[in-house]
Amino acid sequence: MDSHSPKLTDSVSLPEHLDATKTFIGIGVVGLIASFVGFFLDSKQFFFSYLTSFTFFSSIALASLVLLMIHHVTKSSWGTVIRRIPEAFVSKLWVWALFFLPVIFGITSLYKWTNEAYVANDPILLGKQAYLNDIFFIVRQVLYFSIWGYFGYRLHKVSVEMDRTNDWGLTILLRKISAPGIPIFALTVAFASFDWLMSLDAHWFSTMFGVYFFAMSFQAIFPVLILFTFWFHSKGLLKNTIRQSHIYDMGAWFFGFTVFYAYIAFSQFLLIYYANIPEETLWFYHRMEGSWSFITYLLLAGRFALPFVIFLNRDRKHSRTLLGIVSVLILALHFVELHWIVMPTLHHHGMSLSWLDITTFFGLGGVFMGLFFMMLKKNNLVPVHDPGLKPSLAKEYHQ
Amino acid sequence: MSKTYEYVPEPALVKGNHDFGSITRLVTDINLRPTPKAWYIVFGISNLLLFVLLASIGYLIWQGTGIWGLNSTVNWGWAIINFVWWVGIGHAGTLISAILFLFRQNWRTAINRFAEAMTIFAVMCAGIFPAIHVGRIWVIYWVFPVPNSMAMWPNFNSPLLWDVFAISTYLTVSFLFWYVGLVPDFATLRDRIKSKFGKIAYGIAALGWRGSNRHWWNYEKAYMILAGLATPLVLSVHTIVSFDFAVSVIPGWHTTIFPPYFVAGAVFSGFAMVLTLMIIVRKIYGLEEIMTDDHIEKMNIIILVTGSMVGFAYLMEFFIAWYGQVEYEKAIFILRATGPYAWAYWIMITCNVLSPQFFWSKKLRRHVGFTFFISIVVNIGMWFERFVITVTSLSTDFLPSSWGYYSPTMWDMLTYLGTFGLFGTFFLLFLRFLPMIAVAELKGAMPQADPHNYNDEGEYAPHEEIIPEPKRSY
Repeated sequence: MDSHSPKLTDSVSLPEHLDATKTFIGIGVVGLIASFVGFFLDSKQFFFSYLTSFTFFSSIALASLVLLMIHHVTKSSWGTVIRRIPEAFVSKLWVWALFFLPVIFGITSLYKWTNEAYVANDPILLGKQAYLNDIFFIVRQVLYFSIWGYFGYRLHKVSVEMDRTNDWGLTILLRKISAPGIPIFALTVAFASFDWLMSLDAHWFSTMFGVYFFAMSFQAIFPVLILFTFWFHSKGLLKNTIRQSHIYDMGAWFFGFTVFYAYIAFSQFLLIYYANIPEETLWFYHRMEGSWSFITYLLLAGRFALPFVIFLNRDRKHSRTLLGIVSVLILALHFVELHWIVMPTLHHHGMSLSWLDITTFFGLGGVFMGLFFMMLKKNNLVPVHDPGLKPSLAKEYHQ
Repeated sequence: MSKTYEYVPEPALVKGNHDFGSITRLVTDINLRPTPKAWYIVFGISNLLLFVLLASIGYLIWQGTGIWGLNSTVNWGWAIINFVWWVGIGHAGTLISAILFLFRQNWRTAINRFAEAMTIFAVMCAGIFPAIHVGRIWVIYWVFPVPNSMAMWPNFNSPLLWDVFAISTYLTVSFLFWYVGLVPDFATLRDRIKSKFGKIAYGIAALGWRGSNRHWWNYEKAYMILAGLATPLVLSVHTIVSFDFAVSVIPGWHTTIFPPYFVAGAVFSGFAMVLTLMIIVRKIYGLEEIMTDDHIEKMNIIILVTGSMVGFAYLMEFFIAWYGQVEYEKAIFILRATGPYAWAYWIMITCNVLSPQFFWSKKLRRHVGFTFFISIVVNIGMWFERFVITVTSLSTDFLPSSWGYYSPTMWDMLTYLGTFGLFGTFFLLFLRFLPMIAVAELKGAMPQADPHNYNDEGEYAPHEEIIPEPKRSY
């Protein structure tokens, strides 16, 4: 009997030489300083690039947050061995919130609805003023980040506390935090996506947009987990903890949410395309114009068709090479898709990649990953006393 | 339980001291016993209602759709509402079978057979309405792309045509899925039944099943493939039903969240219907040890989740109707909540969004009577959801001079009532002649099926683990 109850055999602390906190913070500082220079050269471009990069990293953290909540509520055990990765992403969301400040400073450059003279001549925007106004916008952001910050901090804190106290009862607490967290998450993320992205084109609207933003973020979280797993393994970490069966599970989830993403994105497109009402189609019209259309087709091929065809096959869901390549591709395309959502507001007629896209990406990415490593190295790499750990370790892959 | 590492052991799927043999007897004896009198009574009532359905359809074909309450702006009334309602109900079966199977949720084994049967009969009820609402039912075959001398083709751009394909595919795959799962159980019945005729009938249905290794291997493969095929179908069917509305430019219909919102609503009503039926059936047939309170609790959680998703969609619709600042869209939503059909709107909100919130309480979601009540409330609410969508948008169209109040006639109601007869008739036949629980699958999910639960002498010796209390309460 006992031969079937597995034990944690790997070391669970991140070795000193692998702690990349300082490196990433360094990259972040350099990137942000470079971006700051760009602010003086082309402030409009700076704000748009900054928003894109900020949304990219935020979406990873938000997808991590809801993944954790679902994990706790459903008492699922498969993900216990990788749980510290999403936990490290969300724990410092309240610090990450400070990096939203530049967006607030830039709202007049980003969002046309902030321009009173412009709004005064536009009956539609005039009608939206009760929602789209500077003060309420800022109030909402404070609200979103306090909520996310709270949930992220608590979920990480309680989980880490379990390592210390060895009391499985804390899983009950985690569940009690997560259950109401899920509906609150759904509402805040939907409205945040309206605020950050949809209101860039203040006339445009789509009831699906919140779900769409969630779907693309949630598809992107699995590549992140997969790549971290591979990185751990390449450094000889957690080799007997995160096993083939877990990699297969992540591949299967990734496949499932690739289909879900495509379903949501395509439904939104099809309904707008089919009904062909000018106030709705304009958004897609801009994205089918000039070189933007190239990205539209690239997303269709790269974010759905390719991973779908590859991972339809069961065996390929745990091929490390394929998972690795496709994960990198999906994360790149996740950025590209956000770029494609944000930038046509600034560059109507075609793509224009600015150096600021790159510096803000590295600037914010450095900070984001710095925070991540700071939390990762502080605690065990797996929740050692979580009662879900043993069933998670026991997962076997049956060919 | 065997799993020594389980900290909070999942409640046993089967309560009571059952082994494989007693499970077989418990389930299949229902089919082998003489037919109870009560069954004949309920079957008789169902037959009467079925007759009502046939008579209503007959009169409809004779007279035309004028016998319904349709008017000049509300050209789509109860027929489409009932269609969407029944299709929605027909969602839980395949969801339980396919999606929960892929997620390895073993608790599905107690209810999957039952829910699949419900799915098939519900889809049959649904299919009637689009067929009869076309008016000239004798040319219904025009919906199929049949080559003809007039070189006339159906409109491939129309979601109504996509519906024809989606529903028929769904029905076919659901039926196959159900049948494949039934094969081993047919064999069990064949081996247990005494009557010669029964032996032959079940024997034919069992397709020569002998329970050999190779049979099981093929069976598992087929079941897996069908589950994989059925999963996207769960989404696609109701997505296309939502397209029937959402591709149009009618305010209140054209909104991008419709596809996932309809799917969530369908799962919501389907689970509610499974609960309604299950609570009655498990009581009458004494199956409480298989369809346990834990099953009810799990299903109530799904009801809570999907009901809240539907609530999320209502909120998004309402917010964007205002945010979009399109006059017509705004007007429709204000009229929904305050206009002539406001009563229907608030019934919908109460039943669909508010009533499931009771299930945040563990006590209530384990309360059988309360669950039964809510499961009916939910399906009333879901019927009104389709009513609100269909009727409010049509009755107040772009031209205020044509606005009018829509009310159904006796024939609308009788047709709808009659579908319960059709559903009931088939469902009772199912209860009588087929094993209502997937016996073979259920056994596979029992601790006795786990080889780790046997000691070296080959005796069944499940490993019990004592779980310490949490250090403090949280």
